[in-house]
Amino acid sequence: MRIIIITLMKRLILLAVILFAVAAAWAIAQERTLTPAEPLVIYTGRSDQFVRPLAERFTAQSGIPVTLHAGSATELLNKLRVEGARTSADLYLSNDAGTLQIGEDEGLFAQLPLLLTQTVPANYRGRDNTWVGLSARARVLVVNTSADGVDALDSVFDIADPKWAGKLGVTTSANESFVAGLSVYQALLGHDRAERWLRGLRENAGREVYAKHGAIVADVAAGRRTVGLVNHYYIFRHLNQHPDAPIRVIVPDQGDDQIGVAWNVAGIAISRHARNKEAAEAFVAFVLSDEGQRMFADANAEYPTRAGVAADERLPDPDAIKVADLSLAELAARRDAAIELIDKVGMP
Amino acid sequence: MPLAFVLSNAAQLAWTEWHALWSARIPRLLLNTLVLASWVAVGTMVVGVSTAWLVARREFRGRSVAIWLMVLPLAVPTYVFANIYTSLSASVHGMAGAVFVLTLASFPYVFLLARAALDGQSRSLEDAARSSGCPPLERFTRVTLPLLRPALAAAVAIVVLHTVADFGAVSLLRVQTFTLAIYHQMSGRFDYQGAAGLSLVLIVLTLTLLILERFFRRKQRYYARAAAPPRRQPARGAELVVIWSVLGSVALFALAVPLGWMFVWTAEALANGAVGPAFWGYTRNTFAAATLAAIAALVLALPVALYHARRRSAASATALQLASVGFVLPGPVVALGVLVAVIAVAGPLYGTLFVLVAALTIRFLPLSVQAEEAALQQITPSVLQAGRSLGAGPIESLRRLVLPMMRGGLTAAFVFVFIDALKELPATLLLRPVGFDTLAVRIWVESSEEMLELAAPAALMLVVASLPAIWLILRAGQPTRG
Repeated sequence: MRIIIITLMKRLILLAVILFAVAAAWAIAQERTLTPAEPLVIYTGRSDQFVRPLAERFTAQSGIPVTLHAGSATELLNKLRVEGARTSADLYLSNDAGTLQIGEDEGLFAQLPLLLTQTVPANYRGRDNTWVGLSARARVLVVNTSADGVDALDSVFDIADPKWAGKLGVTTSANESFVAGLSVYQALLGHDRAERWLRGLRENAGREVYAKHGAIVADVAAGRRTVGLVNHYYIFRHLNQHPDAPIRVIVPDQGDDQIGVAWNVAGIAISRHARNKEAAEAFVAFVLSDEGQRMFADANAEYPTRAGVAADERLPDPDAIKVADLSLAELAARRDAAIELIDKVGMP
Repeated sequence: MPLAFVLSNAAQLAWTEWHALWSARIPRLLLNTLVLASWVAVGTMVVGVSTAWLVARREFRGRSVAIWLMVLPLAVPTYVFANIYTSLSASVHGMAGAVFVLTLASFPYVFLLARAALDGQSRSLEDAARSSGCPPLERFTRVTLPLLRPALAAAVAIVVLHTVADFGAVSLLRVQTFTLAIYHQMSGRFDYQGAAGLSLVLIVLTLTLLILERFFRRKQRYYARAAAPPRRQPARGAELVVIWSVLGSVALFALAVPLGWMFVWTAEALANGAVGPAFWGYTRNTFAAATLAAIAALVLALPVALYHARRRSAASATALQLASVGFVLPGPVVALGVLVAVIAVAGPLYGTLFVLVAALTIRFLPLSVQAEEAALQQITPSVLQAGRSLGAGPIESLRRLVLPMMRGGLTAAFVFVFIDALKELPATLLLRPVGFDTLAVRIWVESSEEMLELAAPAALMLVVASLPAIWLILRAGQPTRG
């Protein structure tokens, strides 16, 4: 009996090894045959459907094919780091300045030519100019226009007031935009103020935090909530589908003694081990062109970062907006503190 | 490979950091994970056993349809469940929401195994209890249920493994389990050592649970196959109403709601022409990866299962537990471990489909080992001895005796891995070749921008793709007659 089993096992293991060797050989052969015209590979943490029209336009203009590899921004950055010189990524795109700056700090990106990026204000770029912001989003309030008392709202700090208990919609603190916003408030107003605010938010939101921004906007429009804290484009996404929805944007903290609205950018970087640096630079140049800027921003109703490129006219006028005075490169360094605060307060 | 990755990273953790992890995070994570796993285990047992008993012991119109309805939820990934229910109702959140979603998503495992066991029970035992005057309820608790114990232990093990390793539902509903915390530690804070430390605790926790499970069914080996399959009482009148209201309400939440949602949005997508050649490419990719992984796991599990089923030593048990590590580790950790290992030792392979298939195989190997071992346990050793005395060599006895007799187990091994590999997300996201999108990846991408509706065709396709596999397992589960 024992001999039977042992012989059997030996043969089975041999069989498994052979099968795997064949599969591996096949896989390698496939890779060799699969590389006719080297496409430009973009790791994108921004949803690829926002990027695809742009990539297609670029291919039509330059003749360079583009492969989009979509994933979560932080995970793709991890991948880039672990892959090292083996990476097939030429470009890295993220919706969050924080992850881009971590990439820069980790030395994952190549320098961008200053000639290319100088049209973008310096606080929307990496410290060492390895990444450049392409489109900006604002952390704003959405209110139901027919509800009482919303006209007095002019600051994100108002929504921690007990009078909004049960009327406030916020996402879970797992949301990256929530963390980025909190990082800004904590950096500018200090730890204690941010903690009080977060505790108020927790009380007002109750246990009913939202998984999605879109659901907050929809509930504010339906009157189930009065005010919500969201990224501005979710409001316009909703208005696209329901033009008559009774909702309004409030760009918060615009007064002289207030901090300004929290801001974040989506941006792009060239991988340090890019095989195709020239084509990668051509792509960056394209997204920073007039046409590229508008395509990139309009895909999601965001603000172009390059000076002089007009934003979607339905959006609040960017020139009239006071933006929180924190370089986006700082966001990464503030992130851990924000998460610790979330854990401490127990924000759901 | 993934285990080595965890160990080497955890070894770099200083004592003070361990201490900080222990005092600050681990107690809460441990509590959350255990509470979630227990509730889901209880929930799936109640739903799974009651539905399985109804279809195994009662004869009624539409019984075979009911069986399909109870198994099909297997094809709906937990993140799709969670996405749909959170968008339908704000009251699905947190721990209660996660228990609800994970129960719906994983009760079919209990249903399948409990039903197979109920069908395989001998009629004579229940008849004996009946003739000695045992009342129906007591008959169930004292005869039927104890006989179900090995099947239930196996099913609960599968459910708990799925729950502990689940990422999709807990991340959406924000229940801080080990898996989610490890993911955030690794992906959000870029802290591999902290993540590895947490993983190590999780491994110990899950292995403890698995060993407990083995302990409970240690002495429970029933070789006997049913001489006479159990009777199914025809149900009529009020009983019929009760049966269908139980099965119907389970099917409503576990199947009708998600499927209805998928149909509505797929119709919209078709109308917009959103289902093009790219979509069929995703479908083909998904099939290729899942099929290769299921075959690889099927073959690799055989030696492990054979070894343990016949030798039953400490060494064989260790081999078995080691094979389970892939499932115990969270998907992102397995993926990163494979990534690091492949880049270090097999560079040229990197970026090919092979790497993805290897990771999927490692992750789901325990499922096939479990299924094959359960099948082997039912083979009476005397059959093999008889074969040997008639002059059958090892290969011949494997080919002519063992493999045919464990056909059901082999099918189950293939199907379980195939269905899980279809739905797998974290490892696929990280390890797929550049531009190689699967249906699960598409669902993730769309839902990350809150446009899950766009992914409805992909979710529906996952269900359709699972149909042949489910048909296979239902066919294999039928009692062999004659």
